[in-house]
Amino acid sequence: MMTDLSIYGSCTLDQDGCVTCGDTAIPVRVLEVRGQEALCEDRLGQRALIATDFVAPVAPGDVLLVHLGVAIARVEEAGR
Amino acid sequence: MRYVDEFRDPKLIRALADEIARLADPGRHYRVMEVCGGHTHAIYRHGIKSLLPENIDLIHGPGCPVCVLPMGRVDDGLSLTQYPDVIFTAFGDMMRVPGTHGSPIEYKARGADVRMVYSPLDALKLAQENPDRHVVFFAIGFETTAPSTALTIMRAKALGIRNFSVFCNHVLIVPAIRAILDSPDMRLDAFIGPGHVSTVIGCRPYLFIARNYRKPIVISGFEPVDLLQSMVMILRQLAEGRAEVENQYSRVVPWDGNRAALKAMADVFELRPYFEWRGLGFISQSALKISEAYAEWDAERRFEIPGVRVTDPKAAQCGEVLKGVLKPHQCKLFGRECTPEHPIGALMVSSEGACAAYYHYIHRAAAVAD
Repeated sequence: MMTDLSIYGSCTLDQDGCVTCGDTAIPVRVLEVRGQEALCEDRLGQRALIATDFVAPVAPGDVLLVHLGVAIARVEEAGR
Repeated sequence: MRYVDEFRDPKLIRALADEIARLADPGRHYRVMEVCGGHTHAIYRHGIKSLLPENIDLIHGPGCPVCVLPMGRVDDGLSLTQYPDVIFTAFGDMMRVPGTHGSPIEYKARGADVRMVYSPLDALKLAQENPDRHVVFFAIGFETTAPSTALTIMRAKALGIRNFSVFCNHVLIVPAIRAILDSPDMRLDAFIGPGHVSTVIGCRPYLFIARNYRKPIVISGFEPVDLLQSMVMILRQLAEGRAEVENQYSRVVPWDGNRAALKAMADVFELRPYFEWRGLGFISQSALKISEAYAEWDAERRFEIPGVRVTDPKAAQCGEVLKGVLKPHQCKLFGRECTPEHPIGALMVSSEGACAAYYHYIHRAAAVAD
């Protein structure tokens, strides 16, 4: 069963409030791992490459919180 | 499957509001500060204030880095646009922030090479694409933002990219809370702690608030149920005479934070002995500069920085609002000389600032009520 990403926050890849505030983060799900980056999708289906240095290792299905293109937390692990 | 509806469930919200009304002692006045601008907005957007008894006051804290950045730092950063080879980059939210001689977007209109980037990593990419130019990134933000700057600088070093540097204005939330607690006119009872900042720093850095100042702090999420649940937790602590750090947002915030991000920050940055905050003055060890090991990527070492000091207008009472002594609309300039279109004080500058949020959502209602 997949969690509704919005329980981890309402931001999306194109709407994340005032980024300098810093207390905003976008919940995304990992689709594909590409080295130190991962192709991720937000709750609206928008995709972006995200740096995963601070949450490595990640796997497809993991839920990450992203700030400025960098994942700052992994909040859910997919089947691991 | 878990849906966000469970955090917006009207029945649960009503039950929590009833619990708050039961816990709040009618003979007591409660002053609770939400530290972060994101919470300020969530409180207004969801109408949380209307669900609380009248003797619970929510005080909006210093959680907006744009608002607390002194104008002199904006001037110092923009001074770098005088060098013809420099490409000055900043977040979109910085572009309208006024310096003495205009905002970054106004400098751009006058011909400076000012570009908006979404992430510091984009600024680094710009440096790779423009090897004959020097890209400066104007870094700003709390502990949520600082890891991305740290990662960018580490990548610049690893990739040997030397036409890139960072003008660092990262600030730390904990020293700001401490400064507010040490202020002689401080009258707060408890804190709602920041959500995403805490994903990085964890809950431990707040322990001094409970231990040394005997104030409860509850790290909170941003949905209505989160905020009301946090208020219940705060009132229970106060009713039972406890002062603890509690984590309401455990679905996101780990107790220890993100160790890899903290390690990167510790490697790339070091504490400044002191840093000026608009509205709060100089606070010791409250901001970051780039460490010796990464000096080559420090714009303040690479360029001559004028070190501009700009005093805020005396009539603006930002400090009192930040410390919770005044409500935004009780400032003499609020809504008259100082508006989101023409901000004078720190808290009106960014949309996340307490005064801007207040202006946007409720200032008319408040003015009528007074």
